[in-house]
Amino acid sequence: MRFASKIAAAASGALLLVALPVGAQAQSKLDEVLARGHLIVGTGSTNAPWHFKGEGDVLQGFDIDIAKIVAKGLFDDPEKVEFVLQASDARIPNVVTDKVDITCQFMTVTAARAQQIAVTIPYYREGVGLMLPAGSQYADYAALKAAGSAVTISVLQNVYAEELVHQALPEARVDQYDAQDLIYQALDAGRADAAVTDQSSIAWLLVQQPGKYKDGGYGWSPQTYACAVKRGDQEWLNFVNTALHEAMTGVEFNAYAASFKKWFGVDLPPPSIGFPVEFK
Amino acid sequence: MSAAQAFFDVLWGARMALLGGLATTVLVSLLAVLAGTLLGVVVGLVLSYLRGPLNWLVRLYVDFIRGTPVLVLILASFYVLGTVGWKLNALQAGVLALAIFCSSHVGEIVRGALGAVPRGQTEAARTLGLSFPLTFALILLPQAARIALPAWVNTAAEIVKASTLLSIVGVAELLLATQEVIARSFMGLPFYVFAGAVYFAVNFAIERLGKALERRLATDTTQ
Repeated sequence: MRFASKIAAAASGALLLVALPVGAQAQSKLDEVLARGHLIVGTGSTNAPWHFKGEGDVLQGFDIDIAKIVAKGLFDDPEKVEFVLQASDARIPNVVTDKVDITCQFMTVTAARAQQIAVTIPYYREGVGLMLPAGSQYADYAALKAAGSAVTISVLQNVYAEELVHQALPEARVDQYDAQDLIYQALDAGRADAAVTDQSSIAWLLVQQPGKYKDGGYGWSPQTYACAVKRGDQEWLNFVNTALHEAMTGVEFNAYAASFKKWFGVDLPPPSIGFPVEFK
Repeated sequence: MSAAQAFFDVLWGARMALLGGLATTVLVSLLAVLAGTLLGVVVGLVLSYLRGPLNWLVRLYVDFIRGTPVLVLILASFYVLGTVGWKLNALQAGVLALAIFCSSHVGEIVRGALGAVPRGQTEAARTLGLSFPLTFALILLPQAARIALPAWVNTAAEIVKASTLLSIVGVAELLLATQEVIARSFMGLPFYVFAGAVYFAVNFAIERLGKALERRLATDTTQ
């Protein structure tokens, strides 16, 4: 996959050079989408709770709900969306080459990416956390840290995985596994005392399998998730930002909060009434 | 046993999605092999019988395509063709890339097979007064097909395996359908093994079909 991502990055870079001089669009993507009558969204299908297929083979997840919120803003109908499946590597190329109107696929915002595509306002802040078996001898993060090198942590294989774990637990033993399901299997089998994984995954598993695991209560390594649109179309970017903003602070808050509750099991407090929350 | 039971429960629940993925894999591979073979035969004929610029051009095409990873061809046909105004969806772009990849291999197989038919066969046909098209259709093609068949079957199996790369551009073939099931069930190992077994079954069927065809062609010439 790393090779594929390099190819995709190179392709997107090269295509950017080709695409940019065409520049000045006659009309905004906003008009194009409205005229078409449905929104084309690039997303994935293999990562719960973000974008995945349920039992009925229907695409669902938090990214999917975010896309539907944008569609509701456009057509007053959240179902007027066509989802285009794409690998993570294809997120930026598909936006740059107009295969999709927008990508909503748990994309971490980085300054380097923002040079290639226009990033919307964030709709989630991800971080890693610790997940323990419900009946663990360790109560929480503090207990794990106090146990020092007696603790074994399972984590997804990555070049920086060991460093990531040691940022929170400097002395812990680190066992790396090459698939997400295996780090949970290590936990179930007692090979690891805790798993280090995305906090959204922890929240999802706590909802899915209540009573089996518990959250260590400590998060680190923050990253921002946002949608992406093609550069050079401020009107379209403004529209999507407005739709997302009002979902998190305004008229569509209930839809956003219901989705948040469904996928992460957390009740969001409604935005305080009165002075706009953004300027506090 | 409960783990096996859980696996079969999930497998049964996902049967339509997985069958859909298998159907896409078979359809994509079939279209790519058919189109690639037609184009490949033309390529092989040009390489064998034409001299001059067209031959050089086709030689360049074959060498370039054969020296390029299939993944690059897929990304190119999906992204690059779009920028020059030819907008293909993921499935069309995937079939095109696989067909082109297939054609370069079939072209070489056909060229090699035609070259392996003894020159005396063409000369004998000429002394009998057959025109080149007739010589080709009646004398060279049946013999070359027999020589080319094992390598062609090999290429067809390669195309089935290469079709897994289409998941990168979002074609819901068998591998992507399998990964979608893994994403909700966290049963990575059993479902990857399952997908591997299905791919093996498809390719084993192709191999058997090839063997049957070989036997048939062999008896045709000995009668």
